[in-house]
Amino acid sequence: MDLKKELQRFCKLSGPSAFEAPVVKAAVELMAPLTDEAYVDKFGNAIGVRRCGKKNAKKLLFDAHIDEIGMIVSGYDDDGFLLFTSIGGVDRRMLPGREVTILTDPPMFGIVACLPPHVLSREEMDRSIPMKDLRIDAGLTSKEKAEKLIPVGTPVSFRNGDYGGFYMDNNLFCGKSMDDRACFLILVRTLELLKGRELDCDLYIIGSCREEVALGARTAAFAIAPDACVAVDVTHAATADNKGEDSVLGGGPEIGIGPNCTRWMTERMKAICEARRIPMQLSVMPGASGTNGWVFQIAREGIATQVLSLPERYMHTPVEIVSLKDMEYTAELLAEFALEPGWGVSKC
Amino acid sequence: MLKYLKELCLMDGVSSFEDNVRDYIINELSPVVDDMRIDALGNLIVFKKGAKRVKGGLMLAAHMDEVGFIVRKIEDDGYIRFSAVGGIDARVVLGRRVFIGKDMVPGVTGLKAIHLVSAEEVKRVPKIKEMYIDIAAPDKASAEKKVSLGDKIVFDSDYLEFGEDKVKAKALDDRVGCAVMMNLAKQDLPCDVTFVFTCQEEVGCRGAFGAAFSVNPAYALVLEGTTSADISNVPAEKKVTRLGAGPVIGCMDGSTIYDEGLFRMTAALADEAGIAWQIKQYIAGGTDASAIQRTREGVRVANISVPVRYLHSASTVACGKDIKDTLKLAQLFVRAIAEGKAGK
Repeated sequence: MDLKKELQRFCKLSGPSAFEAPVVKAAVELMAPLTDEAYVDKFGNAIGVRRCGKKNAKKLLFDAHIDEIGMIVSGYDDDGFLLFTSIGGVDRRMLPGREVTILTDPPMFGIVACLPPHVLSREEMDRSIPMKDLRIDAGLTSKEKAEKLIPVGTPVSFRNGDYGGFYMDNNLFCGKSMDDRACFLILVRTLELLKGRELDCDLYIIGSCREEVALGARTAAFAIAPDACVAVDVTHAATADNKGEDSVLGGGPEIGIGPNCTRWMTERMKAICEARRIPMQLSVMPGASGTNGWVFQIAREGIATQVLSLPERYMHTPVEIVSLKDMEYTAELLAEFALEPGWGVSKC
Repeated sequence: MLKYLKELCLMDGVSSFEDNVRDYIINELSPVVDDMRIDALGNLIVFKKGAKRVKGGLMLAAHMDEVGFIVRKIEDDGYIRFSAVGGIDARVVLGRRVFIGKDMVPGVTGLKAIHLVSAEEVKRVPKIKEMYIDIAAPDKASAEKKVSLGDKIVFDSDYLEFGEDKVKAKALDDRVGCAVMMNLAKQDLPCDVTFVFTCQEEVGCRGAFGAAFSVNPAYALVLEGTTSADISNVPAEKKVTRLGAGPVIGCMDGSTIYDEGLFRMTAALADEAGIAWQIKQYIAGGTDASAIQRTREGVRVANISVPVRYLHSASTVACGKDIKDTLKLAQLFVRAIAEGKAGK
C-alpha cells in the first residue's frame, strides 16, 4: 500500500454515516491482498480476516470506523435553496460559506449560503447561525428543479476544492474524514507489518460504518464474537486554543486508561511501547471513551476492550490534521500486540 | 463564460499585493493597446485609441485587489495570528485552507473542536483576532523560516461552473469587472478609452484617487461585482440585488450618488437592447466611483455591476447571463459616450 496516496484517496471519498458504501468498497479492496478473506457484512461494515490456521484459536478484533460526519437534505424553499440537518457532530460555526458535495449521481456542487458583511451588523457577525436557519445553494432557481434533482434524504459531505487533503511539513496530513479513516489505514498498515508473520490468533480488521451515530461496531462485535478488541480512533491533540491536557501531535499513540479499557490490554500495550521504544501517550478516560470501544465492551457477554487513539487537530472539521509518524507508531504497536497479545483474564 | 475570468479569479491579489493580477493583464493586453503604465500606488493605466476622441475623455475602472488577510504575529508555538485586509465576516474564515506569502505556504485556520466547547460557546464565532493559522510549524523559529510579518494571506478556492448558469470562484469581486474591461480592450472601440485597473479598493478605494487625478476624465464608468443577498430566508428588502435579474446599474450605494444623467442613459440603453437590469434595493457597500467622483473639480460617474453572492468569502457566486449582459451594456455605454449621448 502506498500510504501517502491512500490517505489522499480515502480523504476524498464521501461517506457520511449510513452512506459510506464507496468507502467500504475501497476498504475491502485494500484489505483483500493482505487477508485470507475480505468482505462486506450484513450491516455494511468492511471486514478483513487474517486466519492463523490453528485449532480453537482466539479471535482478536481491531476496529476503525470509515464513515464521516456530514449533512442530509431535509427540504427546500421556494427559491430552490436546500434545507438540511447534520449527520453526526457538525460544527455550525464553520458552516457559512462552506463548499459541499451533494451526493446525487453524479454529485453536485453546493455552498452553505451566507450573507455578506455589507448587510450585517457587528452583533450579527459575532453570532453563529443555528443549522435550521442555514440553506445550501446548489445554484438552482426553483423548488421544482431542486425537488427533481436532489431528493429529500440526499446526503451531503464537505468539499475541499478538488484536492481533498494535502501534506504539510513535519509529516503531517490535513484533510476531511481523517476521523477515522487515518486509523483504518493504520489497520491496513498493521496487516502489512504482519505479512508473512505467524499469528496465534485469528485477526479481524473492521472498517466499521455508522460510528458517528454509534451503530456499526455493535453488530460486528456480535457477529464476530472476538475474545478481545481494540477500538482505534482519533483523539484531540493540543492546538493554539486548546493547550490543556490533550495529547500532542507526533507524540505517538495514546493508550486509554479507565473503565472502558480492560486492564491486561492496557498494561500489555504500555509494555510493548516500553520494550520497543515506541513513543506513547497516556489518556485517562474516566467514563465513556466516545469510541466504538464503548459498545464493544458490552457486546454479547462482554468483551475485553482497549481504546487506542491517534492524536488529531481540529476534529470534525474539513481540515483535520494527523501525523504520519503517529500512524506508523500506532501500526507498530498493533502489529506487536497481534503477534503476542499476552491474553489475560478479563476483569472489565 | 467570459474570457479571462477563470484565470483572473485563480490569481491572488490581496489589496496592495496586486502584482500577479497586474502582470497577467499587462501580458494579455500589451499587444492590443496603445499605452500602458503603472503609477506610484500600483494602478495599471491602459490607454486604447478608438474611432474618435471624446471631449474630456472616458475612463473605465475595475479593481484588481481582493479581500484577504495579513500576518500580524508569529506565536512561540509556531501558530500565525492574522488580521483581515478589507471587510471579512469572521464566520467564513474558520476551518479553511489558506496560502501565505510569496511562496504560498499552505496553512489552515484552526478552531477548538466541537466536542470541547460548551453549548454557550458554540453560539459565538471567535473574532478574527482570536483565530490562528496552523502551518505545521512546531515553534516560532521554524515558522519564521517560512512566514514573515506582513505576508499576505489568501483564501484557497478553485473555479467551477455549477447549477443553472452559475460560476463559483474567489474574488469575483472584482475580477469580473477586470474581465469585462479586458474583453472591451480587445475590441475596436468607438472612442478613446482609458482603462484603469485599480489597486486597494477593498481598503478604502485608495488607488482610484490618484488614477482619477492623473487620467482626469470627464466621464467614468466603474465595473464592479456587487452584493447580492438573495438567499431565501433573507427579508425581501435586504436582498440588495438578485442573481439572474441582470446587471445592476448604479443609482446610489453606501458612498456614492451616481450621476443622474448617466444613470438614466445607461438604463435607457439597457431597455432599448432588451437587457434586464436592476438597481440596489438596499443602500450598502461602495465602489471606486466614490473616489473618482470627488477628484479635481469632479467627474461624472456611472456604475454597472454584476450581482455576486457570498461577497468577501472564499466562494463567491455569480450568474453567467448577468456577466455577459454586463459586458454588453458596458459596450453600449462606451458607444453612447462616443456618440455624445451623455449630454452635459
